[in-house]
Amino acid sequence: MNSIFDWLTIILRRDLLIAFRRSATYITPLIFFLIVVTFFPLALGPQESLLSSLAPGVIWIATLLASLLAVESIFSEDFRDGTLDDFFISLEPSFVLVFAKVLIHWLITGLPIMAASIIAAIVLYLPFDSFLPILLSLILGTSFMSLLGALGAALSLGKSAILSAIIVLPFSIPTLLMGTSVITSSINNQDYFGFLMIMGAMLAIGIPLLCLLTVEALLLNYD
Amino acid sequence: MLPNLKVENLSCVRSEKAIFENLNFDVFPGQNIEIIGSNGSGKTTLLRAILGLIRPENGTIRWLDGDNNFNEYRTYDCFYQGHQLGIKNLLTVFENLNLTHNAKGLKKETIHKCLERVGLSNINDPASSLSVGQRKRISIARWLLKDFKIYFIDEPFSALDDEATDLIENLIIELNTQGCSFVITGHRPSQVEASRIEI
Repeated sequence: MNSIFDWLTIILRRDLLIAFRRSATYITPLIFFLIVVTFFPLALGPQESLLSSLAPGVIWIATLLASLLAVESIFSEDFRDGTLDDFFISLEPSFVLVFAKVLIHWLITGLPIMAASIIAAIVLYLPFDSFLPILLSLILGTSFMSLLGALGAALSLGKSAILSAIIVLPFSIPTLLMGTSVITSSINNQDYFGFLMIMGAMLAIGIPLLCLLTVEALLLNYD
Repeated sequence: MLPNLKVENLSCVRSEKAIFENLNFDVFPGQNIEIIGSNGSGKTTLLRAILGLIRPENGTIRWLDGDNNFNEYRTYDCFYQGHQLGIKNLLTVFENLNLTHNAKGLKKETIHKCLERVGLSNINDPASSLSVGQRKRISIARWLLKDFKIYFIDEPFSALDDEATDLIENLIIELNTQGCSFVITGHRPSQVEASRIEI
């Protein structure tokens, strides 16, 4: 167990160091998210009721698209430079590698988007009470998107970057529906806990299932 | 003495074309195997098939375990170096060695010694500033991080000057005396003492 934790720590340290030295990795999705969100008030005008009614969908669509921007890079560099071979040949479980990669993707895309979602909520005239449900839905939803993104990236390794987005987007519809329902329910003072529970269940099932599928998808690239 | 690895009747087919057929060899402790073949002859495929990255068409690969039994799964660490060296341009020389799973639990001094052994002193330079030969030396330093029973090295002598070639040859001899084995590939026989297999 200690060995697996050490391995996870090494992958996290290494990839986070690389991500921080290549700042575009985490800045690009963040800027993209903010640009998409701020375009709506510019295009539709500052009508509070219209913007707040569109806000759940705007925030979630911007989140899905922004989180897909860095998906292609999850495994591509490791595959190109031979690091991935090294991981698969080691006696450590490949599941841990995929989990670490998903975690890193979430830290460099999901976490900044969550922080920026507060700005988005203000720009789109959402009530202060909705900030917590927005954050909770984004924690669960962006984590699930990172898992889906890893599978898409593994299936499209060495191919066009847009392919991973095409693979991932249809599977992100349940996350989109649940995420927007959480925010809409909170705006309408309705109970949103059930939607969060469904998102939590999707994540709980997704972690083992999608990580294992991603390992298999990565191995297909060697055949 | 039992071999650490037994390869029996190994065949690989890609796009309905046989890449290699019925390969048989054993890898004994302290002994080397050199796979000789031209470009596209399947040298890399063979190494990857042995290490489980590719499913072979036929044949068995069996590894010796601690109880002297042969299994289809491996219980000890092996080292693999393919054509790509696994060097990260945005990391320094030291970080490229320290942040690999094989360096897990190692002290900084051990890593410094490994780098010194291969003649790398500029440990805080980013890998992007290094020449091809220096990058290759980082990957050679990884051989020394821990005791691997078998090293699988794809074309270790390509794109190297005489000094680096000598370094690799001497390291192979040194590691052989410690009981480590090498399975290496190349276009032509090298100076390394090895059983040669042409594919």
